[in-house]
This record gives sequence, C-alpha cells and structure tokens, in this order.
Amino acid sequence: MNSKPARIVLSLLLLVGLLLLPHFLQFHHQDLLIFLTINVLVVASYRIVTLTGEWSLIHAVMMGVGGYTAALVFKQFELGMWFTLPLAGIVAAAIAALLCFPLFRMTQFYFLIGSFAAGEAIRLCWIRFVQPFGGTGGLSGVEPPLIGDIDFLEAVPYYYLTLAVVGLCLFILYRIENSRIGLILHSVHWKAPLAESVGVDTWRYRALAFIIGSFFVGVAGGLKVHYLGTITPNQFGVGFMVFILIWVIVGGYNRFYGPIIGVVVLTLFDESIRSLEEIRPAIYGAVLIISILFLPQGLESIVGRVKRLFARKPAGGTPSGDR
Amino acid sequence: MSDSTILKVDQVTKRFGGLTALDKVSFAVEAGEIRGLIGPNGAGKSTMFKNIAGFYTPTSGDIIYQGQSIRGQKPHTIAELGIVRTFQETTLFQELTVFENVLVGCHKHARSNLFKAIFKLDREIEQAATHKALEVLEFMGLVERRDQFASELPLGSQRALAISIALASEPSLLLMDEPFAGMNPEETNHMMELTRKVRDSGITIVLVEHDMKAVMGLCNYLTVLNFGQLLAEGTPDDIRNNDRVIEAYLGGGVH
Amino acid sequence: MELVIQSIINGLIQGGFFALFAVGLVMIFGVMGVVNFAHGELVMVGAYTIWLVHAQYGFPYLPTLLLAIVVVMGIGLLMERFLFRPTRNDPLGGLICSIGVLFILQVLATLIGGDGPSKQVPPPLDGTLVLLEFIRIPYQRLFGLGVSVLALLTLWYFLTRTRLGWALRAVALDREAAALQGININVISFIAIGVGAALAGLAGGLMAPLTNINPHMGHNVIITAFIVTIVGGVGSISGAVYAAIIYALFHTFVTVYLGGTVATICGLVLMVLVLIVRPSGIMGVRVSE
Repeated sequence: MNSKPARIVLSLLLLVGLLLLPHFLQFHHQDLLIFLTINVLVVASYRIVTLTGEWSLIHAVMMGVGGYTAALVFKQFELGMWFTLPLAGIVAAAIAALLCFPLFRMTQFYFLIGSFAAGEAIRLCWIRFVQPFGGTGGLSGVEPPLIGDIDFLEAVPYYYLTLAVVGLCLFILYRIENSRIGLILHSVHWKAPLAESVGVDTWRYRALAFIIGSFFVGVAGGLKVHYLGTITPNQFGVGFMVFILIWVIVGGYNRFYGPIIGVVVLTLFDESIRSLEEIRPAIYGAVLIISILFLPQGLESIVGRVKRLFARKPAGGTPSGDR
Repeated sequence: MSDSTILKVDQVTKRFGGLTALDKVSFAVEAGEIRGLIGPNGAGKSTMFKNIAGFYTPTSGDIIYQGQSIRGQKPHTIAELGIVRTFQETTLFQELTVFENVLVGCHKHARSNLFKAIFKLDREIEQAATHKALEVLEFMGLVERRDQFASELPLGSQRALAISIALASEPSLLLMDEPFAGMNPEETNHMMELTRKVRDSGITIVLVEHDMKAVMGLCNYLTVLNFGQLLAEGTPDDIRNNDRVIEAYLGGGVH
Repeated sequence: MELVIQSIINGLIQGGFFALFAVGLVMIFGVMGVVNFAHGELVMVGAYTIWLVHAQYGFPYLPTLLLAIVVVMGIGLLMERFLFRPTRNDPLGGLICSIGVLFILQVLATLIGGDGPSKQVPPPLDGTLVLLEFIRIPYQRLFGLGVSVLALLTLWYFLTRTRLGWALRAVALDREAAALQGININVISFIAIGVGAALAGLAGGLMAPLTNINPHMGHNVIITAFIVTIVGGVGSISGAVYAAIIYALFHTFVTVYLGGTVATICGLVLMVLVLIVRPSGIMGVRVSE
C-alpha cells in the first residue's frame, strides 16, 4: 500500500477522476464542486495555522479580506485574476502580520477570544463603512478573466482554473509541512518550552504559520469572489468559521489530509440532507457533538485503521513521512 | 571573577507577588566543571535554572554569561548564546521519532528560509543537520533507536534523548534538571557515564539533582540552596560533613 | 444634559443584564474550565419561554419567569452531564460541543417560532416612572434592574457565606487540590452550570418584554458576555460585574452618538487592548508564565 508505484498510480487515478468529474454532473453540482475545491484550500490553509497548536477564529474573516481585496482591485483597476489572486493573498497575509503583534501575546484561550474579536471587528467594518466595502449589501460585478476564447464564467472552465490554483497551493502547503520548517512548527505545537530551550523563537514560528495560512485563505477568497461575482460580509461570519472548525475537527487534524477528508465528506453529507433545509444547522450541531464524543481523532483515524488492515508485514522500516 | 568563569549569578532575587523564591543568591561556575546545585525541596533550584535560561526574569540581580549580562533575554536568545536546559519530568516531542527530536535541536545551526524549504533547495543545510543529529545520537548511544517514537523509549533512553536534543544545539553550558529522577542503580551508572562524556567533550554542566550518589560521584563542586538562599558551597566532601547542610536536609526536605 | 442622564440610567439598566449573563459565563468557565459558546442561546431560550408560555398561551409573567429559569437550568444540566463531563480533560472539545448545542437550540427556536420578523412580548408592567420631569424609566425596566441586582446579591451571598459557595470557589481555584480534599467535582460542576444557566435563563426572561426576540439574538449576547468577561478578568465574578456596568455605560453612550455597530466595534477593540495590556483583566488573577 505504501510502495511508490502504487502511490503514483493512485494519484494519477485521482487526478484523472478529478478532471473528468464535472462532465458527469449537472450544473448545480458543478457549482458545488467549485465551492468544494475552494473550501479544500480553506481547510488546508487552516491546518497550517493549527499546526502550532493555536486555534484561531479569524480564518473565515481572512478569507473575506482576500475576497474584498480581489473585488476592490478588480473594480478599481480592472486587473485580471493573475493580479487579484496574489494580491488577495498578500493583503490577507499583511493584515495577519499586523495582527500578530497584538494577538500573539496571548495563548490558547485568550488567543481564541482575541482572534474572534479581531475578526468580528473587521467584519463589522465591512458592514459599517459602505464606502468602500458596500455595507451589508457588499460588492458586486466582479468577473472572472477572459483568456483567449475560454469563457471562465462557465462552471467547467472555472472549475479547472480553481483546480489548478488550489492544486498548486496544496502542493506548496504540503511541501512546507514536510520541510524542516514544518518540523519546527510541530515542535512548537507539542512542547513550546522545549523548543525555546534549543533556540526556536516560538513567537516567530507561530506568526509564520498564521501568516502563511492567511495568505492561502486569502487566495481562496479571491477565487470565490471571482466565481460568485458578489461578496457580502455575512459570507464570512461566525457561521462559516464554525463550518471550517467542523470540517477540520470531524476530518481530523493530525495528518495533512485530515481536514480535506472532513470537508469532502461533510459537503457530500450536506448535499444529501439538502431537503432538510430548516434543521440543517441542528444536524451539523449533532454531527459536531457525536464527532467529539465518539471519534475524537477524526475521520482520518479511520483511514489509519484501514491502512493497517492492508499492511501485511509489521512496520519494521521508517514510518511514512506524513504527519 | 576569574578568566575561566563561564557563568556568574550575581545577587539574584526572584519574587512572585509576596513569595520570595530566590534571595540574593550569588555563585560562579568555572568552565569545564560539573557543578551540583542541590538543596531540599522548594529551595529554589529549578527556579534558579529558569532564571538563568530566560524563562523567568530575576526581580533583581544579574546573570553574567561569558562576560555578558543575559538578564531579561528570552529563552531562545539565551539558547543561541549557548545555554541550554533540560527539563524535569522527561520533556520530549513525544509524537516525533528520536531522530526528528534531535533534528529540532539542530535548529540553531540549520536555518533555512521558507522559499528554499518549499522547493527543497536547502540540501546542504539539511545534510549538515542530519549529519549533526546522527553524530549526537551516536555519542549518546541512541542510533539504533532513531526511528522509534519518543514515547516508546524506556526511561533511561528518554533521558538520554532529552540530553541529545540539548547537545544538538551545541551548548557551552548545559543545565540539567533532575536527570536521575526515578532511575534504578544501573540506569544511574549509565547516566553518570554519559554525563561525564558530555563534560569531557567540552561542555560545562550545572546539575540539579536529589540523587546523592550521582551528585557526589559527578560533581567537582557543590552549591547548596535552602529556602531560596545560598546555604553553603564547597567540594562534595566539605558539604557531606557540613552541619548546616545536614540540618537543612533532615529538618526540612525529603531526601 | 437630559440625554446624558437618561443614557446613564439606560446604561446602568443594561449593565444589570450584561452582568447576569457575564457572571453566568464566568461561573461556568471558572469552575469547569470550559467556554460555553451556547450561553447566548441559553438566554434566548429564556426569552422564548416567556414568549411562548406567557405571550402566546397567557400564563402570568412571574410564574413563567420561574419556568424559564428552570427550563434553561435543565438544559444546562443536560449539557454538563452529557457533553462537558465526558470532555472534562479536553476543553476545546467541550467548546466545540457547546457550538453544537448552539446550532441545535437555534433550530429549535426556528421550529417553534418560525424565522420571520422578531417577536415582541408586551410588557406585563405598564407605565413609566418619571423623575425630575425628564427622566423616563419604564417600570418594566426598573423591575428588570431590581431583579438582576437581587439575583447578583443572592449569588454573592451564596459564594461568600455558604459552604457550598466556598467549595465552588475552591474548585475554581484548583480543581485537583479541591478533589483531594474530598470535594465532589461532579456535584460542584452541576451546581456551577446550574447557577450559570439559571442566570442566563433569568436574563432572557427579564429581557423578553424589552427586546426583539428571534433565533439569532444569542449572537450579541455572547459577544457582550465575552467582552465583559475578558475586560473584567477571566474567572473573576466581581470583575465581571464591574466590567458589565462600565461596558454597558460605554456601549450606551457610543450607540447614542455613533450607532450600535460602532459601539460594538469599539467594544471588541477594547477587549483586544485589554488582552494585550493586561490579560488578567481588571480584577482577574494574574496568570504568570
């Protein structure tokens, strides 16, 4: 199961599957697929923030920061996505960098509340300052690019675009996590004083994780606004933040793919209960509770167990690199 | 202060609200020695370590390392200067392997920048770090266990690993906080050997410890604290026969 | 000038309510170590009880108020038994569970009352007290303030003058030490959340005739409760009370001149500032290292 050829074949199959998928779906589901892909980036970027052990509640708002940046840049300067997406990421990262100073003086509980407050304050600014953020109604009229003859307003082309961008971002995130920087981030998580005692500046690494995570979720925000065409403050409120938490917690956060499993499974689940519109939040609430009480290691632990079932020899060599 | 003094603790006082944990304590450590910092429970030994290593800042007084004041610096800065401490109650990165644990310790000398790390352009740094980590593991006798998880190790190996992590950062001064706690005689002997080996490689050691066999057997000189104050200093023989020290241990602390 | 005095009075009355929910939150966090994100929803349930049983079915106000307290307390006890006790060693897990409860309660409210325009409960107490010709205080608000003060005084007495109260404070200070002394943590946790929830239910019941009732009213409550709790000092009840009054006055004044949204933004910024400068809050225990 862990042999290199097997992995390559599986990855190729996955890739082909992803590329062919939209052609089998109806428009409504194609739509969903795009949002799912964007949300994969959202949770993957959240993971790197939580890697150092800090759970922030500002991630959803950071996505909005990226989205609003993309929208404003597009409307003011009429620049295409080549510009708005990186800018979305950069501005989100910059705001995160600024917030590091007040926020990272607190840890754990205080950081949770502080990040929540900062996020809510930013969101309220979008509501209050109709110029330039458009208030509760937000902004509209943001369009995707026109590259050659391909009209990216269509779902399928936009999906491929999203897939490409998200794929690249995931690659970078994965590489970071498996580099020595990732190792240091892990060490900060597990035993910060121990890391400090050998010269690790834990503040710096927490900040780094936070900034990187914010960059990528900012990009996700840009992807979202270019597809939807509009952006409103309520898209990035407590509701969405809670979804992110649910995806990460239910999926599991000990492995890189944990949150991704979470968002995929729960989005599919969500679709299947679409008819139960009114009580959907309650079902989510129940899923959260059941998850915490009965599957605290998340869905990814199921993957772990399945893997062990398939392993014929007892593990004598190096464990696989993902952590 | 002689030329070979590596650490000077100068009238250090540490107060927490109304509680005075350390009261004008002064002592000096010579380069290359193994200094024992002993005293009954609650004497302030661990607090002193935390002050030296930067986890606490002294309320008053100064700490001078290799001629420079390090008072008020952050732990990671002090670590970079060459002072590393180990922790009471084996503190390790439990979820990482032995090798990865030590690799973290190599951090100081293996700074990579983000860009390079992503695209694997920092090969030399990686190799140097790996080399160093293996060297340390070899030195401490842990090479065969390199791929085991830290949580799987027996006690003696865990303590050795804690020291390995510290060694990987190439300290000049190692503060060891009760490394012999909970060890049986065989493990104690092995640990004593390792400690001597570390000292012989050029690292000065200050040892906080309750196990008197280890203390008497390893240390060149002893500094005794009681109730946050300096009680006595001297060679192990001096201290063994010092009435006030005996009284302090019998009267107050658990041995 | 009249506006200023009227605002001060309104602020004080608001402060009473803020204190009720903040103190409830502090009790739960202080004793059990878990952040109850569903606290705003508990207040909402209290308000909904009044709406359903008193406004819709016509039961008298006071007994319904008691019912509201009992109902919310019941929910709190259920949460403790089935959610917080199993996650005692995992405060983040407990927090997430409380978020789950938040959703469930919101949906229940929507099912019971629909998600249309906010509901109103006509105040059972009619009339307005007029002082000095320009200060107007509706009797219903005065009643709310009076009961809040009474409740807080009763709590103070309970915590400082009774054995049970001391036990609660002991657990809040050091759970392990308290357990070693023979204090039953399960019982104390029940009491803590019972009291915390009861205060929330009371607040909801008192606020019902004075505010808009809808499934999302808990959102503002929880934000206020957090701000007040942090500013007053996490774990400090007296701090929460002082902070509640100060924040309510602050919020009322800013709302008059700059609007409610700005007031809340300022409150949040204030909270972040407190977290930076003095994380222990005005009265909290200093967290060293």
